Amino acid sequence: MSFLRLEGLSKCFGNFVAVNDVNLDVEKGEFVSLLGPSGCGKTTTLQMIGGFVTPTEGKIFINGQDITGVRPNKRNLGIVFQSYALFHHMTIHDNVAFGLEMRNIEKVERDARVHETLSLVHLEDFAHRFPRELSGGQQQRVALARALVIRPEVLLLDEPLSALDAKIREDMRIELRAIQRTVGTTTILVTHDQSEAMAMSDRIAVMNNGELVQVDRPHTAYEYPGDSFVTEFLGKSNMFAGIVKDVSDGITAVDVAGVTVLARSKQFEVEAAVNVSIRPEKIKFTGQSKGLVEGAINARIFLGNQWVFQLDTPMGEFVVVSQNTGHEEAEEGHKAGLDWSAQDMRILPRETD
Amino acid sequence: MAHQSNYKNNARPYLLSSPALLFYVGLFMIPLIMTFMLSFYSFDINRGGILPGFSLANYAEVLADSYFHRIFIRTFLLSILVTFFCVLLGTPEAYILHRMSSRWKSLCMLAILGPLLVSVVVRTLGWAILIGSDGIINRTLLAIGLIDAPVKLMFTMTGLVIALVHVLIPFMVLSVWASLQKLDSMVESAGQSLGATPFIVLRRIVIPQIMPGVLSGSLIVFALTASAFATPSILGGRRLKVVATTAYDEYLGTLNWPLGAAIAVLLLIANVIIITGYNKFIEYKYAQAFK
Repeated sequence: MSFLRLEGLSKCFGNFVAVNDVNLDVEKGEFVSLLGPSGCGKTTTLQMIGGFVTPTEGKIFINGQDITGVRPNKRNLGIVFQSYALFHHMTIHDNVAFGLEMRNIEKVERDARVHETLSLVHLEDFAHRFPRELSGGQQQRVALARALVIRPEVLLLDEPLSALDAKIREDMRIELRAIQRTVGTTTILVTHDQSEAMAMSDRIAVMNNGELVQVDRPHTAYEYPGDSFVTEFLGKSNMFAGIVKDVSDGITAVDVAGVTVLARSKQFEVEAAVNVSIRPEKIKFTGQSKGLVEGAINARIFLGNQWVFQLDTPMGEFVVVSQNTGHEEAEEGHKAGLDWSAQDMRILPRETD
Repeated sequence: MAHQSNYKNNARPYLLSSPALLFYVGLFMIPLIMTFMLSFYSFDINRGGILPGFSLANYAEVLADSYFHRIFIRTFLLSILVTFFCVLLGTPEAYILHRMSSRWKSLCMLAILGPLLVSVVVRTLGWAILIGSDGIINRTLLAIGLIDAPVKLMFTMTGLVIALVHVLIPFMVLSVWASLQKLDSMVESAGQSLGATPFIVLRRIVIPQIMPGVLSGSLIVFALTASAFATPSILGGRRLKVVATTAYDEYLGTLNWPLGAAIAVLLLIANVIIITGYNKFIEYKYAQAFK
């Protein structure tokens, strides 16, 4: 049995189903992100693991033990809250020591462990300050130290970086990941930020409308999204509705507004309603009337490391991203052909009303 | 042009605040200064009442007479007791209110603030009806056989404390409530996740963080009790004089205005000393963690 197991976990608030039959297995030491838009049930799931919300149905196991009915203070979990929830009337040292004090650990060992954990987050010189005197990033690290010092079975991170500035947020991603690797604590991160989830986790669990949609390694989830929702939620995509026209030799031909698009797939039948999708960075410009489809550039945005183009084509609106290689790219108003490999084109089921 | 607009901007705050300032100076500062001056005058009924002059005789009289000592001590004791019970009842009240669902919260808030809409005199007369020896409380207790003779509540410290706590507890609740609003709702969960029982969370995490609210609330309650007039005069009367009612009696009973003024000034000084001292203590104690 896996280290942390969610078994058929559901939560209803009146008639509203916040979490619906979530099954998830997390290995010891693994870093898994619960990713989804707000209201998808990811925070409720985390609160059920933490013990602050009682599941309507289902069970939670840690290390083979059913902890579904165990009170939050008996679960031995480290939780980092979105707002950090530091104890503002205590020094940093006392904040971190609190969990050890609750476990009746001797003062000598307690102080040693507090110092060790504060060193881990590079805050050993701030032990006697108060939370108010620290920056957002530092407070965040105190919250992390406070959660880690008790050597929790599982570390739960509830949108831990969302209150930080963009710059610090990126640094903290790397640092948080490094710390997690060092201590090896099984970690669940809740976030709505797909790049955060992809940057830090071993696996991503994408949630939508209270259900777990896809659980995969970040690269797999990005390259082979299971449905249209995951495609659009993980990164950007050009997605078009079409109808399957022909299937042969593992190549499926889809008609999109009169343009035939080829993709490697054999799971759909002829006349099936599908979406075809391709990532913006997988598309290349070719000369006029040479590509698979032709369009007029109606917007061009320069982002420093890359260019973003918007094109009108017979298929619909395309977004193309290309690396900035040092020289000026195609200009607004010009026509250009677009080319891509059938390998990079994905076909996904489309729900028709 | 720029100069002119600059000038206008500088004068504007003063112009805008001048009505309030005039009001404040005219109706508060001037009477206060006149009371202060009056307290140095002397009073002789045979020589025509109030005699202008400068003497500290009134202060000496108050500070030397054990009759006045008792009144000041009683007022101080009353303030301490009322403050104590307001903290004891108001803090949990505010916390429970804070934890309620929003619908019940607004209803209960109304119940707490409602009494503030009724005049203190009316509320105190209500208490007089309730706690009188032939009042509802005594009659009920007698009827159900809990007591044999009426409990004496009118003109006693107990009755006075009960009524004043009722009058002043909204200030306590509001003050604690304000500091609870600032408390991150997640800190309680954080405490629990670290292994603390709900009781320890309350004692070690919630209460210390709302202490500034409790302390400033008790400051308000203390100051208002020390200078309370209506409730002590109705429920305490002549038998249980406090400083405010004593000053009133000097003014309107014996007509010795200078002595009454001296009493009032002494109450003001005592109040200011206690309040600023206490405030300094709070600031010192919580300077680092809160601001």
